[in-house]
Amino acid sequence: MSRNKQRTLSFYLFASPWIIGFILLGIFPLLVGLLVSFSNYDGLNIDVVKLVGLRNYTRILTDSDVPFSAGRTLLWVMVNLPTWMVLSFLLAIILNQDIKGRGMFRTLYYIPSVIPGVASVAAWGVLLDKNYGLLNAFISLFRPGTAIGWMSDYALVGMALIAVWGGLGSGMLIFLAGLQDIPDELVEAAKIDGANSFQVFRYVTLPLMTPVIFFQLVMGVIGCFQQLNLPLLVSKLATNTTSTPPRQVYLYMIHVWQQIYTNQRYYYGNALMWLLFIVVIALTVLIFWSSKFWVYQAGGPEGDSK
Amino acid sequence: MTTLHSSARRGHSEGWLAKRVARFLGYSILITAGLFLFIPIFFLIVNALKVDSEFHTWPPTIFPSIPQWSNFVQIFQLTSFGDIVWRTFILGLIYTIISTFMTSMVGLAFARYQVPGSKRLYSIVIAMMFVPGMIFTIPQFMIFARIHLTNTYWPWLIWSLFPGSMGIFLFRQFFMNFPKELEEAAEMDGAGPWRIFIQIFLPNAKPVLAISAIWSFSWVWSDYLTPLLFLSNEKTLLPVALQQSFLRPSGQAYLTLTLAANIIYMLPLIIAFFAAQNYILKGVVTTGLKG
Repeated sequence: MSRNKQRTLSFYLFASPWIIGFILLGIFPLLVGLLVSFSNYDGLNIDVVKLVGLRNYTRILTDSDVPFSAGRTLLWVMVNLPTWMVLSFLLAIILNQDIKGRGMFRTLYYIPSVIPGVASVAAWGVLLDKNYGLLNAFISLFRPGTAIGWMSDYALVGMALIAVWGGLGSGMLIFLAGLQDIPDELVEAAKIDGANSFQVFRYVTLPLMTPVIFFQLVMGVIGCFQQLNLPLLVSKLATNTTSTPPRQVYLYMIHVWQQIYTNQRYYYGNALMWLLFIVVIALTVLIFWSSKFWVYQAGGPEGDSK
Repeated sequence: MTTLHSSARRGHSEGWLAKRVARFLGYSILITAGLFLFIPIFFLIVNALKVDSEFHTWPPTIFPSIPQWSNFVQIFQLTSFGDIVWRTFILGLIYTIISTFMTSMVGLAFARYQVPGSKRLYSIVIAMMFVPGMIFTIPQFMIFARIHLTNTYWPWLIWSLFPGSMGIFLFRQFFMNFPKELEEAAEMDGAGPWRIFIQIFLPNAKPVLAISAIWSFSWVWSDYLTPLLFLSNEKTLLPVALQQSFLRPSGQAYLTLTLAANIIYMLPLIIAFFAAQNYILKGVVTTGLKG
């Protein structure tokens, strides 16, 4: 009994950094943010701050930048997420074959994933610059005078290139690990039954990979919806300032950022943020719910295997 | 009998050809992807070796006419780059040490102490992985601004004390598979939970400590949004400084010098990756797959 008490005490002592952090840096800011979203707080008017009811939320309905930025965000999700997932899955499938230099490819492909966003945008800036960029120079060999604004007029394309470039390594790695967890016996059994490579992939590999695909999808959707880093960096490159992001990459989080950082409309920014929070949670729940229709669960991939 | 035999052989030779084609296709895709991944790095390097006037010429040159290796020295001599590197490094180091220690402690709690409430708390840890981080960061910024901690490095110190979900998860997975015997022997000898943590678990957790340390450090080193939001330009960290470019006294940007700075900037992370690649790749897989 006293041993149990001692263990309980030890647990709560050891876990206290997380518990305190969860309250002070999690719950408390969350509630502050919620409160601010119902107020007129702009960071300076603490003396005259008051609750304004739903005003900030009704304002969302009349803000034309909200549907616009939401549309850009959806487009961003649809361009970036499938490209990244399909390409990293494809690389993983190839690297899962008995191929020479497999370990080397795996390591080299991962390098872009460790390069910080700022440096990767700087590197891509050299290639994608409208006036001096090497990509336009290359295209100009065939179509002289090409000056495509990869970071401005087509910034969503440029940004997707950078995002896929940076994410390919880690995506591939996770898919590859998933593929290696598939028991060889299953593949062999299917082959003995006369399945060709495509059939093996379609009826053995793909179903067994759905838990990994599911996980990548959930994390990818959450990541894409709150993408802020890249559009800010890209807009700095395109316009030399972060305060006027190109409309191409005016994602929802950029709109939130503009309220908080540029305009100090904390009250409105927090309302927008809470809307996003609710949408992302709803989407996550939806994907989790949908998983019972398409994600393979035999004992589940989680738990005791490692 | 013969038909069976010949059809088997034909099947075999078809398989052989298909394998050849598949292998060729596989390598072509691997090499194309490799080029896609390396072209930006290659052109970053060759352009960092140019003078600004050559960098902005049309049509652009590929290789610099005279490689300016001195760019890598001048960025330290002509700009505040060195100071900011040092500042970011020290902050990163302090953050890493505290954060890794705290994370390992919490990870151990969730791995080894199954007490009433611990399961429920752990499910919150996991759920937090799925919550968009900015919902916390923005109010945190307002709170820190209110108590005058913005434009100081205190927020980083505060964050280092309170571990995040990914790290906890990583340590928990590791400690759960840790053999019980050592711990039990130490307990027999009368060692308390704290001593067991410091003397048994911590020294034997090098792989996860390495992953956690590299993650922590590269967060401080790479994160662009937090210093942009929390610090003024005079106190800012490397990512923001690099992104704003280093300026000549005339106010114009040093273009290729900034590119050289970017190369220096990403080197520590690449070196750390190569030094600990097995650990790191394993860490990505653990958190990416078993979550």
